[in-house]
Amino acid sequence: MVQWQWEKRGLVFDVQALPNRPEWFDAFAQAPNAIVLNDRVRVYFCCRPKADAHGMFVSYGAYVDFDRRDLTRIIGMAEQPIMPLGGLGMFDEFGTYPISTIKDGDDVYAYFGGWTRGASVPFNVSIGVAKSRDGGVQFEKLGPGPVLGHALDEPFVVTSPKIRKYGDTWWLIYTAGTRWFMHEGRAEIVYKLRAAHSPDGLNWTRLGYNLLPDKLGPDEAQACGDVLFHNGAYHMFYCYREATNFRHAKDRTYRIGYARSTDMLHWERDDSKAGIDISPEGWDSDMVAYPHVFALDGEIYMLYLGNEVGRAGFGLAQLKGSLA
Amino acid sequence: MMRWQPLGQIFRVGDQSLGEGIVSHAQSPQALVMGDRVRIYFSTRRQSTDGKFLSTIRYAEFDKTFAAPLQVATHEVIAPGALGTFDEHGIFPMNMLRVGDEIYAYTSGWSRRKSVDVDMQIGLAISHDGGVHFERAGPGPILGPSLHEPCMVGDPFVLQAHAQFHMWYIFGTGWQHYDGSTQPERIYKIAHALSDDGINWRKLNDGQAIIPSVLGDDECQALPTVLRIGARYHMVFCYRYASDFRTNPARGYRLGYAHSTDLVHWTRDDAALGLPLSTDGWDSSMQCYPHLFAWDTDVYLLYNGNHFGRDGFGLARLEGIDE
Repeated sequence: MVQWQWEKRGLVFDVQALPNRPEWFDAFAQAPNAIVLNDRVRVYFCCRPKADAHGMFVSYGAYVDFDRRDLTRIIGMAEQPIMPLGGLGMFDEFGTYPISTIKDGDDVYAYFGGWTRGASVPFNVSIGVAKSRDGGVQFEKLGPGPVLGHALDEPFVVTSPKIRKYGDTWWLIYTAGTRWFMHEGRAEIVYKLRAAHSPDGLNWTRLGYNLLPDKLGPDEAQACGDVLFHNGAYHMFYCYREATNFRHAKDRTYRIGYARSTDMLHWERDDSKAGIDISPEGWDSDMVAYPHVFALDGEIYMLYLGNEVGRAGFGLAQLKGSLA
Repeated sequence: MMRWQPLGQIFRVGDQSLGEGIVSHAQSPQALVMGDRVRIYFSTRRQSTDGKFLSTIRYAEFDKTFAAPLQVATHEVIAPGALGTFDEHGIFPMNMLRVGDEIYAYTSGWSRRKSVDVDMQIGLAISHDGGVHFERAGPGPILGPSLHEPCMVGDPFVLQAHAQFHMWYIFGTGWQHYDGSTQPERIYKIAHALSDDGINWRKLNDGQAIIPSVLGDDECQALPTVLRIGARYHMVFCYRYASDFRTNPARGYRLGYAHSTDLVHWTRDDAALGLPLSTDGWDSSMQCYPHLFAWDTDVYLLYNGNHFGRDGFGLARLEGIDE
């Protein structure tokens, strides 16, 4: 039985429609993530300058402000990236993506995937943390290194952080790489959703197991485990895809899935309940990916990415029905 | 002041085969005492298809005469790391610790980077056959970078004391460009971590160097090794300038020394090691990668000499300590 559906509101942040974009914001608005302020909803996203001579991108964090009463109306924009890239040889030298933000008292914390580049594989990722004291305009990294790196059974590509705080416990839902393999001359990565908890947001205890069973087999890649606590349960929306041939084959790329938990430890996966899929045509006709779900003034919304993982921007959908 | 009897370069690369494809180096010797013989593990080098080198582990066994090795391993003591893992491009060094019937090897895994040469993290491998072969406890590291130790976490040395596992290791503070260097150079310092089981570690004080620098902030400190003799813990390590250290003997590795009674507070006193460069020979321009070990009532120091151990490693026996 269908309990809810997401009613699409379209590409509310359309990159190409923005005039005079700065050099650091040529394209992409990825991994949207909202905090609710007095009069506005501030949506953080990650964007890219043009690729370098080798076709390699870096990624910066920025934000756009929407009118709290009309989430299709833009009322502000970041004038510069919310934090700089890391220095030479640091874990975040080549990108800060994705970024997940949370308000905690007067502060805003940003957890982010920091990107470095390897010789044998194109990248590696660890999770960093930064703090804003000006309401989320600029963030200062709490250190030059990562707050959650690699571990015995999470050997590389620890990324896609989603930060939450329930009671006194901080939670990170994230993605951990399990396997690199060569496919048609290119290194491809398999990653799974994992979680860790912390009393202070700095010292983390990993659960140490995959949160979800695989639907597409052992090489399924899972990312962006975005959790909303609602009606006494934890609801997680995430995205998943095949590990190979996903860039240009629409039936192998990202779809949004759903799982439910009552304790943040054990999850029941049931993607048939996700309530959102690709459109027949348009900006989200190949994929739907990187969901972020938030409550605002009695409604529940989802921000998400479409084709080419957010090259065009991000869209908005509104929940119809009840998350139970 | 410690008094040492130098026993010379006891292992020379090339005297025995180390297996197919091994081209040079016997670096960072590390001892495993086995009754009437000692097995000394070291990192040697194989050339990979791209022309770069991969560090791989071998060992040689000696009796107390430290004459020619009784046996030299030609096999892969630990298999290479998988694609994209922290130790894909070699292990150097690997530190041995007996834990029950098993032997734990704490590894310094190397992984090549694009913008800088390399990064390091610390791994764990375990042997169930007395140290002939080691299997990784997992594909990832047990200790890596953290908020205030951003890179180059390596050179583990583990000791059990006071019902805990203690690890001394190094962390990178960052990379810098120097005049005259064609590539960025790294700076690293010695730190301390604790564990109840030897597997799950917590850094004692994230980003805190425990040994003061004598060559300025950019001093590079490496490969700490710790041994208790009487009431005192003795640490030997090596240190150098951050740049122009490879071929300029005045800026290359020297052995440093510190002592402690509580394993937390260390007093640095390099001169008290009493093991200066030799006037000529295998350790006349550099001394590095020290390893202290006790064998029955004797104390030994293994180390590398000129060219970072390209040609082999040497040994000294402690004659005494003058207070």
